[in-house]
Amino acid sequence: MSNLKKTFTILILCLVSVNTFSQNLEEIVKKHIEAIGGKENWAKIKSLKTETSMKANGAEIKMTMYQIDKKAMRQNIALMGMEGYSILTTKEGWSYMPFQGQTKPEAMTADEVKKAQDGLNIQDKFMTYKEQNKKLEYFGKDDFDGTECFKLKMTDKDSSETTFYIDPANYYVIKEIQKMKMDGKEVENTTTFGNYKKTAEGIVYPYSIIGGWGEMEIISLTINPTIDEALFKPTVPAKK
Amino acid sequence: MKKIISLSLLTFSFSVQAQIMVNSAIFGMMEARQLGPGSMSGRISAIEGVNNDGGKTLYVGTAGGGVWKSTNAGASYKTLFDKYCQSIGAIAINQKQPSVIYVGTGESNMRNSVSIGNGMYKTTDAGDNWKKIGLDSTEHISKIIVHPDNSEVIYVAAPGPLWSSSKHRGLYKSNNGGETWEKIFYLDDLTGCADVLMDPSNPNILFIAMWQFKREPFNFNSGGKGSGLYKSYDGGKTWKEIKSGLPEKPFGRIAMAIAPSDSKQMLAIVETKNTELFISSDGGETWKAQSANMNVKARPFYFSTIVIDPKNPKRVYRPAFNFAYSDDGGYSFSDASYGGGWVHSDMHALWINPANTNIMYIGTDGGIYVSLDRGVTWQFNHGLPVGQFYHVSYDLKEPYNVYGGLQDNGSWMAPSAAPGGIGNANWNMVGGGDGFWTVPDTDGKTVYSESQGGNMLRTNLTTLKSEDIQPQKTAKEEKLRWNWNTPIVTGAKNPQNLYVGAQYLYKSTDQGRNWKRISSDLTSNDKKKQKQEESGGLSEDNTSAENHCTIFTIAESSLDENLIWVGTDDGNLQYSLDGGTTWVNVSPAVAKCGIANQAWVSSIQPSQFDKNTVYATFDNHMFGDHKTYLGKSTDLGKTWKKINSAEFTGFAHKIKEDPENKNLLFLGTEMGLFASLDGGDNWFRMKNNIPEYALVRDLQIHPKTHDLIIATHGRGIFILDDIRAMRSLTKEIWEQEVYLFQTPDITLNNGKFGWGGPQVSGGWHEGNPNYVPTINYYLKQRLATGKITIDIYDSKENLIQSMPGTIRKGINKVSWNLRGIPPKVAAGSTKMDGAGFTAPMVLPGTYTLKIKVKDKEYSGTVKCVHDAENKDLNEEDRKLVYEKAMGLQNLYKMVNNTIDSISFYQSSLKADTIAYAKNKNAQAFYSDLQKVKAEFMATKKTSMFADEEKLREKISKLYGSFCGMESKPNATHLEAIEDLQKEYALQKEAFKKVIAKSAPKNPKIVKEKELK
Repeated sequence: MSNLKKTFTILILCLVSVNTFSQNLEEIVKKHIEAIGGKENWAKIKSLKTETSMKANGAEIKMTMYQIDKKAMRQNIALMGMEGYSILTTKEGWSYMPFQGQTKPEAMTADEVKKAQDGLNIQDKFMTYKEQNKKLEYFGKDDFDGTECFKLKMTDKDSSETTFYIDPANYYVIKEIQKMKMDGKEVENTTTFGNYKKTAEGIVYPYSIIGGWGEMEIISLTINPTIDEALFKPTVPAKK
Repeated sequence: MKKIISLSLLTFSFSVQAQIMVNSAIFGMMEARQLGPGSMSGRISAIEGVNNDGGKTLYVGTAGGGVWKSTNAGASYKTLFDKYCQSIGAIAINQKQPSVIYVGTGESNMRNSVSIGNGMYKTTDAGDNWKKIGLDSTEHISKIIVHPDNSEVIYVAAPGPLWSSSKHRGLYKSNNGGETWEKIFYLDDLTGCADVLMDPSNPNILFIAMWQFKREPFNFNSGGKGSGLYKSYDGGKTWKEIKSGLPEKPFGRIAMAIAPSDSKQMLAIVETKNTELFISSDGGETWKAQSANMNVKARPFYFSTIVIDPKNPKRVYRPAFNFAYSDDGGYSFSDASYGGGWVHSDMHALWINPANTNIMYIGTDGGIYVSLDRGVTWQFNHGLPVGQFYHVSYDLKEPYNVYGGLQDNGSWMAPSAAPGGIGNANWNMVGGGDGFWTVPDTDGKTVYSESQGGNMLRTNLTTLKSEDIQPQKTAKEEKLRWNWNTPIVTGAKNPQNLYVGAQYLYKSTDQGRNWKRISSDLTSNDKKKQKQEESGGLSEDNTSAENHCTIFTIAESSLDENLIWVGTDDGNLQYSLDGGTTWVNVSPAVAKCGIANQAWVSSIQPSQFDKNTVYATFDNHMFGDHKTYLGKSTDLGKTWKKINSAEFTGFAHKIKEDPENKNLLFLGTEMGLFASLDGGDNWFRMKNNIPEYALVRDLQIHPKTHDLIIATHGRGIFILDDIRAMRSLTKEIWEQEVYLFQTPDITLNNGKFGWGGPQVSGGWHEGNPNYVPTINYYLKQRLATGKITIDIYDSKENLIQSMPGTIRKGINKVSWNLRGIPPKVAAGSTKMDGAGFTAPMVLPGTYTLKIKVKDKEYSGTVKCVHDAENKDLNEEDRKLVYEKAMGLQNLYKMVNNTIDSISFYQSSLKADTIAYAKNKNAQAFYSDLQKVKAEFMATKKTSMFADEEKLREKISKLYGSFCGMESKPNATHLEAIEDLQKEYALQKEAFKKVIAKSAPKNPKIVKEKELK
């Protein structure tokens, strides 16, 4: 009988451990930050240069992104023999997309610039949400493409929201839904992440980023490159 | 003992592991398309808007399609409730914090086909996340009120279960935002709370309408001593019954309204033997009867909405059979003119924007309409695909069509694929009434359809002219009893056989022109269950919905046309082995396995592999039993095994056995679609872009395309395209880390459709299936690190194409466009060039697939075959097109190389800008180069509206034509190639001349690049 009692005790302990296994918000965030290389390593990043490639049936679109943390970013796009770019700073934004018929850079609206500011933050969002006074909530587990993920939602002061799906197997974010209101209408963007790799600097970064546009593969990631700030001013590329 | 328990624990843990592994995630990217329609929508049970956001945000509750949200005033909707119960009774928004919303599940328009809810849900983030907050057993919820001053206080009116007596009904209250509930008003287990109103000037004053009602499969009773109107002055602590001015009881259902701008003004439609409208001008203390038109008094159990304008107490709206309005506080009503076009009858929900009361939304049995002029004219919202199908069938055309009948909305058909995808305009109505069975004849020109109570038509699909083909009773027969949802079915073995069932089974072999009765009465013929003319309770309501002791399902074996199975709505399951001459009733054997003996036989699936095997589903919900009943017999019904699964939810509607893999089974229930890969031993809920608790009424598997076609009662038709990979899944496969499925042969063409143009009809739209069979592989787990690449080689091991693979857990599907790698485009143009995105279609042959997953490689083959159906392109011509296209690609590459060379010289000249500015020879050289370049490609165009075409653009255009060519090139095509080659030679010569002219003066630069 004592053996039986012991076995049931083990069973109960197992069940208890299952219950306590349900993660709380702080634990998930902590493990996520550890999984992607830790806050210290990320804090060392002041600038980034990212070269990416998008392939569709063998055709390739190349992009290069320059980012200075919390200050400015620029994305160059080479497509079908033409080059365009988009620029975002803390005060303004520009896009020059000759593929879409633009003949000169066009300014983003103030609302677009404001709503895009989060993109200037190189740091992982979970490392900065508190200082940015964002609300973070945990909604338990939810399925994404067959993986039962931790589901977290971050809400900005202007009510813009980002929902994160974190894979419990490795604590990487594998899906992100950004939701904001544009002219009163809700607009959603969904991005998924894969091919996480550890860089020499010790951060773990997704080398595959998939959005409505297709898959963007990072070809090279340079941490703390020197970036000429003249890049963040709109100019029409000279004809070659 | 210790060993035994340890062993059992071990077994437990293994079985848990096995269950975790085999679920719908295994199907990965095999996701269903939702075809709609949005043009004929479904029953709307609740509409609520956010009061102070300009009328943009709306939440819509539907009878069987969950909750939808619009943030653009109804121009488009998104679904919010795909993981939860789909039957919605009520919605309430906390207007002070509009991200907090309550949803009560279980619609309360208590018709025979109404579904069932499972309690209350709450969101605090405007619908992204939901939490279940209790009242699970109420089954039906009709109204929710959030206290305007203390949003923690919630009132919920629960009519409660329709088909059984229950204590889970009455008025509930929560003082903590739904964390706990108290039932604050309850009369008895047959009387529920149909409505609750709050006095807008004093939230402590409440009114409730209590309603006694019950349905049985063969009878409905609305009314009884429990029904009545009650008032509370203290937030629901105490109540008094309001009687003054009201008629003698019994009452049935009461619809009531209070004027938001003057709470003394109230209206109530009280169901009695002589239903009347009552008006109160003293806050509901006393009432006075007022004459009212038919629409105001119509079907009180079903039309329970009356609304007073938020600002004008005299303006009253009565959405019911039609839309009526009053401008004198309800003393007189007029029916709306519908100047904006046809508006669906049968209305249940109305939201008036309190900030602009000209704007209102009406919910009908056929969707939502918006009015900008107080209900005079209405515009339909086309983006809500919540049609309520009962059945679905298909034809064998390419693309095939689906056919089905919709609750209150007739019979419809639509193609499974169309140019540009499936839009609302692709759906066509082929029959009227409440639509049920809609079945095409194999002649391709005819469809059979049935509407409520056995009215059946044979319709010419070209002219839509119809003939009534219902068999009539003969003098020697009893009155024919037709189910509301009478089956009309073609034979699975011999599709020329057409069957219909009253209490007798009829068969026609000439499209319903003549019928032969092939059975005696196959039902219990219980006369106590045949008093439908007395149905309705206080208001007579006999619309054939309660017809009983009828045949409900018919199935001819696909192995033998003489083996016919029939199921009835009163529990009989019978078969004939001789085409209907003799019948065997196996229902006693069914009952022995634990399936309720009076349950409706909702579907029968004679096995397609063994005549002795049969599956059947049974529906007992009309006796208050929601269990999922699925039975299987392997001895022609002598003995039955009840198939159980902890996964099952909802009463069962349809069992479907895959025609090629007898272990692959699908089960549709009132709350979900389930699949088994092992012949029914283990089941899991299908997600795969299908609402998890969808009301799945019917399932078909198309024999040519291998599509699973799903009819839902609230979300329209879904198609899960090409389930062959699903069919071939075995334990041996799903236990592997990676498995590459054999790709079916690919027919080389550009698909069956062109662009199709914009979706000019707007609203709901769904894409087509992949026109090329996808490359399918299985991943045991999602790939967190590393990537997947798919390389395709020809028979000479040349790399033809390289594509990134997807990393999803389960079956992954990657599309190859049947082309090689496009040419690179030289930079420097002012015009985007399309040639960089295309390449010629490959030639017929066997190609090798190599899939690299991290560092491992898996290989297979795919055979590409010539499209013999295309009479415009024979195999020789295909080769010619390919060769010419490759020739143009080479020419294009040469042009780009030359442009690159020119650009190289130009950038070299300008490398030292100071030297360049002083060097006139260099400047002249640069200028000459630019002139040559300007002949090779567009360099001057500065606007997308001012086209410029130079050599590269000409080649690109012709190259694009050859890449897409599916017919023999004409002579001008071929001549044009020659012209371009000549032009290239000329321009190349011009370039050489420039080099020759300037080289001596710029020797250093020219030397660096060898001119080719």
